[in-house]
Parts: sequence; C-alpha cells; structure tokens
Amino acid sequence: MNENESRLGRIMDGIGGIVDSYAVTLKHLFRKPITEQYPEQKKVLPERTRARIVLTRDPEGEERCVSCYLCEAVCPTDCISMEGAERGDGRRYALWFRINFARCIFCGLCEEACPTLAIQLTPDFEFSKYHVLDLVYEKEDLLIEGCGKNSEYNYYEHAGVAVGFDKGEHPGEAKPVDVKSNMP
Amino acid sequence: MPRLVIDDREIEVPEGTKVIDAAGRLGIMIPRFCYHEALGAVGACRMCAVKFLQGPFKGVQMSCMVDAKDGMVVSTTDAEAVAFRKWVIEWLMKNHPHDCPVCDEGGHCLLQDETVSSDHSRRRFLGSKRTYRDQYLGPYVQHEMNRCIHCYRCSRFYREYAGYRDLGAMQIADKVYFGRFRDGRLESPFSGNLVDLCPTGVYTDKTSRFKVRRWDLERAPSVCIGCSLGCNTVAGAQFRAVLRIEARTNPDVNGHFICDAGRFGYSYTNGGAGFRQRPREPMAAGAGIGREGALERAFGALEEVARKYGPESVAALGSDRNSVETQCALKKMCAAKGYLPPVFFLDPAARRKTCEAVARLDERIAFSRSELESADFVIIAGADPLNEAAMSALALRQAFRKGGRIVVIDPRPVSMPFDFEHIPVVPEAIPRIFGMIVANSIPGEGGGLDANAGKFLRKLDRRSEDATLQSRIEDLAAGLAAAKRPAIVCGTGIVDETTPAFAADCALLLYRAGKRAGVFYVLPGANSYSSAVLSENDGRTFADILEAMEGGSVRALVVVENDLFRNFPDTRRLEEALARLELLIVIDYLPTGLENRASVFFPSSTAFETGSTFINQEGRAQFAHPVHAGGVPILGGSPEHVFRPDVPGGGQKPAWSILHGLETGLSGSGGISAEEIIASHPAFGAIAPLRYPVDGVRVIPVQSKEEFTSQSVSGGEPAPPRGLRLLLVDWMFGTGEISAYSDTLLESIPEPVLTMHSADAERAGLLDGQEVALRLEGGTVEVRLRVTEKMAEGVILLPRHQNLRWQKIRGFPALIDPERIAAL
Repeated sequence: MNENESRLGRIMDGIGGIVDSYAVTLKHLFRKPITEQYPEQKKVLPERTRARIVLTRDPEGEERCVSCYLCEAVCPTDCISMEGAERGDGRRYALWFRINFARCIFCGLCEEACPTLAIQLTPDFEFSKYHVLDLVYEKEDLLIEGCGKNSEYNYYEHAGVAVGFDKGEHPGEAKPVDVKSNMP
Repeated sequence: MPRLVIDDREIEVPEGTKVIDAAGRLGIMIPRFCYHEALGAVGACRMCAVKFLQGPFKGVQMSCMVDAKDGMVVSTTDAEAVAFRKWVIEWLMKNHPHDCPVCDEGGHCLLQDETVSSDHSRRRFLGSKRTYRDQYLGPYVQHEMNRCIHCYRCSRFYREYAGYRDLGAMQIADKVYFGRFRDGRLESPFSGNLVDLCPTGVYTDKTSRFKVRRWDLERAPSVCIGCSLGCNTVAGAQFRAVLRIEARTNPDVNGHFICDAGRFGYSYTNGGAGFRQRPREPMAAGAGIGREGALERAFGALEEVARKYGPESVAALGSDRNSVETQCALKKMCAAKGYLPPVFFLDPAARRKTCEAVARLDERIAFSRSELESADFVIIAGADPLNEAAMSALALRQAFRKGGRIVVIDPRPVSMPFDFEHIPVVPEAIPRIFGMIVANSIPGEGGGLDANAGKFLRKLDRRSEDATLQSRIEDLAAGLAAAKRPAIVCGTGIVDETTPAFAADCALLLYRAGKRAGVFYVLPGANSYSSAVLSENDGRTFADILEAMEGGSVRALVVVENDLFRNFPDTRRLEEALARLELLIVIDYLPTGLENRASVFFPSSTAFETGSTFINQEGRAQFAHPVHAGGVPILGGSPEHVFRPDVPGGGQKPAWSILHGLETGLSGSGGISAEEIIASHPAFGAIAPLRYPVDGVRVIPVQSKEEFTSQSVSGGEPAPPRGLRLLLVDWMFGTGEISAYSDTLLESIPEPVLTMHSADAERAGLLDGQEVALRLEGGTVEVRLRVTEKMAEGVILLPRHQNLRWQKIRGFPALIDPERIAAL
C-alpha cells in the first residue's frame, strides 16, 4: 500500500463520515421524537421503583407499623427514628415516626426488613425542597390511606398476640389452654 | 480436680463443676435456656446437648446435667450434637408465636438468637399452635404466655430462690402454664428479675414497654443508689432518658439479681412524670440565669459573706447520696476557703452509729452479701432487711435454703420470705439479748481466748430474768455454738448508739472463738460509708449548723444534694433558720423545694450522667459509669425540627465540678483529681487510679484500730419506758429519698400506717384499721392504725412516708404519751 492510496482512502473516509451523519440527521427529521418532555410529560415508573417512602395501612384501615425498630436498625444512613407506644387495646404503634429524606439513599433495606409490610418505597421521586429541614417527614406526612403493594396482609392476623384477634383465633391456633381443667 | 478436654482444649475444674460451666471457663458458650448459675440445672430445655467422645459414658448428653470427670473428651461442635440442638429449636418453635416484631425481648432474646443461629426459618409442623391466656401481673411485669418454652426459670427463681409463692407452674404435659392462680400484682419485691431471667419474652419490663430495643440503648455499668448495698446494674438510655435497668452480675455484692425498687425506680433522673419535675437550669431566686451568671453570682456572694462575717460563717451540708468525688470536692472547697468543714449527717445519733459501724469494718469480720448467703447462723439485730436493704433478705433466704438458722431481734414486725425466729424487743434491749446468745454459745469463761476477748466475754450478761426468754436464748446459743460461719446483721436505723460497735465486738468474739464469723451492717444511705469516713474526727452534724444559723454565726449555707425538707424532723424550725440566712446555695438534681428558696441553684447531674464512685455498706468502692449525657428526654412526641448547638435541659454539671467552680470562681470542666481524693482520707487510697475492677474494690483496713471497746450492756433488764417510744422506720417503697421522685414506683407505694402492738392498742382503746390522730410536738398527723402482735410492746412505728408529714415529730427520739393518740 503506497502513500497516495492511503491519502485517497482517508479523503473517502472523511466524505463518507460527513454524508453518513447527514443521512442520519435527515432520517431523524422524518421520525417520531423519543425525547420525554419532563416535567411537562411524566412517565409512569415501574411499581418497584425505589423513591419516596410511605407507611401503609392494613386491609382493616389500621396502621401497619408496629414500631418494631427493624427499619431503623437496618438503615445504613440512620435516617429513620421512632418511638413505640401501646394503644388502649394493647396494639403496638409508632407514637411518632420520622424519616429524614435529606439523608435517605432510597436503598430499600427498610422495606425488606419490615415484618408487617408497613414501610414501602414508592415511585414518587420528585420532592425537592428549599430548606433541608422540610425534608424531615413525620408520621402524618408518611402515612397513606391504602395498603400499598400488598392489599391482603394483616400482621396481627398472624401475630398470635391478643390484639384485634383473640388468643386461639389466629389461623392455625388451638383454643387457649384451660389451666383450671384436668381434661387432657 | 478433674481434667477434661472440651473442643480439643484441656481444662481442670473443681470437683462438682458441670460440663456447661467448665466450657464457660474456656470461653465456650454452650447454648442454654433452663440452666442458670444461680438457679442450678434441671435439664428441662435440652438445649445444652453436647457429645461425649471419651470418658465414663459416651454419646449426646445435656452438659448442664453432667459433672465434669477425669478423662472426659467433649465436643460441642460434633455433627450429632449440632443436629440434636437444631431439632430442639425446631420443636421449641413449634408453638412459638409469630410476634417478635411486637415483643420487647426481640433483640436480646436467647430463643431468637438460637433460632437464627440454628438456621430454623420455616415451620414444617402442620399441627396447630398451643395458646394461653395472659394475666395481669402488676405495674412492672408484662405477661405473654404464648412465648413460653417451659424452661422453669421463672418458677424456680420465684418460689425456690426468692421464696414467694404466688407464681408458679400449673397444668401438666404440653399444657404447663406459668402464672398466678388469678390475675393480680406479683407479691414479690424481686419480681423484676423474671424479666432478666426469662430466656424469651414471657415476662417483659412494663415500665419501658414498647419504648426501645436493646440495640438502641446506650448502656453502661452502673451502681444502684437506692440503699446502702450498692447493687450492680446496667443502665440503658435512649432519647436522653434512662429507660431500663438490668441486674449486673457481681458475685460479692448482688449476685445476679436486684430488687424492684432499684430496677424500676429510675425515673427521677428523667424528671418523673412528664419529664418536667427535675430542675435543669441554674436559677437565682427561682428565676433562670445562665450557668456563667449563676457561678458569678454565687462566687461573688460567697466572697462577700466571707469578707463581711469571716469565712467561718459559711457552712456546707452534703448527704449520703453524694458521690465520693462530690464529698471530697466539698471538703476540699471548705478547707481551701476556710469555711466550716462540711457535715454529712443531720442528727448526731445517726452520725455516731454510722461512724461506729464504719470504724469497725475490717477484712477479718466484714461480710459481703455473698458471705451472708453461706452463713449457717444469722443474728439480725435491729435491722429489717427486706425494708432497709432488700437484696440482703434474698441473701438471707439463700442462707436459710442451705440450712442456716436465722433469728431476728427487732421491735418491728419483720417479714421475710423464709422461716425465722423473731424476738421482738425494744431497741435498748437488742444488744443485751444477742450478747446473751453469743455469751451462752461460748462454753465456760472463754478459756483459749485472748485477754481482751475474755474480758469482753465476762462482761456480757448470760442469764435473763425471763424464764421463757432464757430457754429460747439457750436454744439459740446451742445453735450458734454448733455454727461454723455465723453472721451478725446489724442495722443503724432504730438501734441505740452503742449497738453497731457492740455487734462488731460480738462478731470479733465469735471470730476469736474459732468461727468464720462476720458482721454485715445496713447503713442509712448509698454513700454512708464515705460520709462516715470523712466525718470521723468531726462530731458536728447539721443540728449544730442549724443552731449556728439561728444564733447568727452562720450566714451562708451550701447544700449539696440533700432533701432537707424531707429528711429534717422539724420543718418549721428549718424554715425559720433558712429564712435567717443571707445566702443559700443549693446543688441538686431532685426537685426538693429548696431550689426555689435558694439564692443560687445549680442543677447537678445524676449518677447516670456522671462517672462517680459510691462506697457500699461493706466498704466496697464501686464506680458508676456515665450512661448518657442527659437533657430533657425526647419521649412522648416527635422532636422539634430545629438546629441547635446545645442540649435542651442540659444545664447540669457534676456536683464536684460545680463545687470546683464555687471554690475558684472559674467555670469549665475542672474538678477533683484522683490524687485529691486520695489526699482526702487514707481509706481512699485504694480508690487511687480510678481504674479498679468493674466489680469494685474494698477500701476497709486489714485490721480495725478498735476492738472490744464497745460499751458494756450488762446490768439487767432495761427499765420499761414510760409512754410509747416512736420509731421512724423505712419501707421498701414510699420512704426513699430518690424513689419519692420516681413516678414509676408510685403504684407500689402502700398507704402509710402507724403500727402498734395489740396490747398497747388495747390499753389505749384503739382498733386495727382505725384512722387515728397522732399529736406530735409540731402538729397532728392523721394516719391509719395497724395493730399486730408480731412486734415489741412499748414502741409505735411510723414510716418516713412521702405522703405523711412525719416531720412534725420535731427531734429524735420521741416518747409519746399514749393519750396523744386518739381515734378520729
């Protein structure tokens, strides 16, 4: 291969490159655009997208959260805090529940740890604020009316403690032992 | 001494050691649910299975049921043993509910740990789960019987170890139930230990119910300051509040357990109900001024008074709940500024009794609580163990279980969870009677004893005029003569001033007579030992200071952590004397009422917030580590959304640091150094580097300077007093200085009663259960009357109850004309 040929080849390559790219541009002039006009147009994200955290309710409409502190323990950024309390009927609930979204990294470990399916991540990722303290969400900001991703699970139905369901009423439980009877 | 091999490591253990303990000495923790060092082995849970490869027998055996023997080769990791333990977990979980998220034990649950470590995660059993109904067990312990794995720890502790009978096992086979016959408060004042003992969540702490997980607690070894025993605890705090107290094992002090008053009486440090009671900011005349302002004003005012009237016009008062550091700092401040040396006692009798007791403690005769457990004959002289130092009653119960004989010589209707003999006599007669028991137990004139001991023995009365009493004493003396490890438990509350020293001399006499004898004092407060040591050469008490305040020679008073209005028996006189002061400086963490009268008030930190040393009644210095930084708890509602550099309500400082400020006028973190503590008194030499073991260190001398110097108690029966002698007594709940500010204990506090012997009541025409008016010097006290035969005639007992104005008594001791008690 001599020097002239190689120069010719390079010129042809250059022309080809220009023509090709103009051809692509020309082609796209007549195609439907794929750009999403966010925020004017909003995309429906998959259900399992990990963004803003909510607290859900069980099918009976009660708060699912029992303030077991597992999400708080597993949280790698320590952005969850709460205080547990006992309701009049013995039900355990969170007196207050706080997520500091300024620290949250939306890793979803809290949702994995939650034994009652109370804490769930939603696809809603758009909630920036002007002041960092406005990103501290309290229970009233987090609690939603619905069940979230699971519309059936009610933890207290399976717990075995006498809240909502009496002793022996949970699925797979025998009637309470009568300690004052000698019958086997 | 058998030698055996566990997991390829050889160890030699004493005869009778269980294999599970032998493994523990090697640091191998064999899983267990039912086995507990204090409760022994029953082999109920089958969890501690290990494989015996060589030795007297082979195969899988329970390591808690097998004594270590020579030649044993044990494997804890053998596949067969591991598989066995896995099945055990699976069958224990067969009936266990699915409630870990709502169970307070979750996070420190033995069953949970073992379930996770055995990899059991799916229930394969298809049958139904057994359920039980729960019971109301009182304000401290929550019951959730579904979680039970039938290890029997609760009933073994409650019935056998502690001796109470209202909780136990019912039913048979698969239906065994642990609870009471019917709902109701647990009668035992040691019920909180069920929470620690239960390997799962059947019994949980009701005072911190649902509030916190173990992993979130800031925990540190602490020391209980509820009474003079200084039981070891682990305190846990979260959200600036102490939320849970657990027993910490110290074989010499409290064993594995603590009493309910110590476990649940912590809320004073959080500020009581609503966290609002505790004074948290420096104040002048009841209004808040900053820390710097308060120091400036107090320092300036002290200088002013000292300049105007001389430094001797400034007096200082400490108390038994001061730490050693605080007492030394107070002493140092007074010495440096030329103020009157500080006093720590309110009345001279209490000072003398405590000082006498403390002066006599030495390595020969001071018994620790664990030595009390192995005593075979115990004379309790003028002490009410359950009410004055509850854990000592649990130790005495262990002595009783090992066959020990226990006799109580006390005017009060003493009650303890075991059988004992009670000789109810007036306080004056106590030393004579136990002196007679001791004298009669030593045959002849005490040949073989040295001169001093023989002389002391010859001074003791041997015969009583009362024939029944004499035969009782001879019977007891015979028991004491046969005993090898006798103990004398001596109180310092109601007894006469000479009794503590006399008790030590009697113990020393028995020691010289060849017995491993000892004395176990019950002192008035957590740090009485240190108070006594620091005031041993100074006979003054607050009574003297009060006189000087009335006479005008004392113009300024510094009160450090003393609830004067509660403790001083004459409220009106105290108020008048305080009003005459030019300057009153108060340092405290309790809302005693003094903080509003103080010219300047400084909030001090509690033992949970400061590292501080306390010396218990046997002379053991123990360090309470700081648990948390303090401040207003953020419980009960979500915290504010604010940034701030300081801790709300965090104005407190250790009392010794505040005293350093008053001495130098400089704020900052200066305080008292270890060298200065050592310089305060030779006895504190052992406290030296503040690095002594977490179990504490005894600071008592090898040999006390005084022996056989107590006053003679011979001279026949004391003359019967005219009138009734009023004795102020302490109760386990309701009379404590600190517990009065702990709302967690409110439900335990019984109604105050005036207790009287039935013969005295009959003479006065009074009936049991009647409301009576007791006319004291300072006014009338209305109180319910309780009549009993189980106490001494000639005395009436009034508790220092927080709901009773007993301070109208105006001075100790009080003789009451029976006419002064009238039915309402």
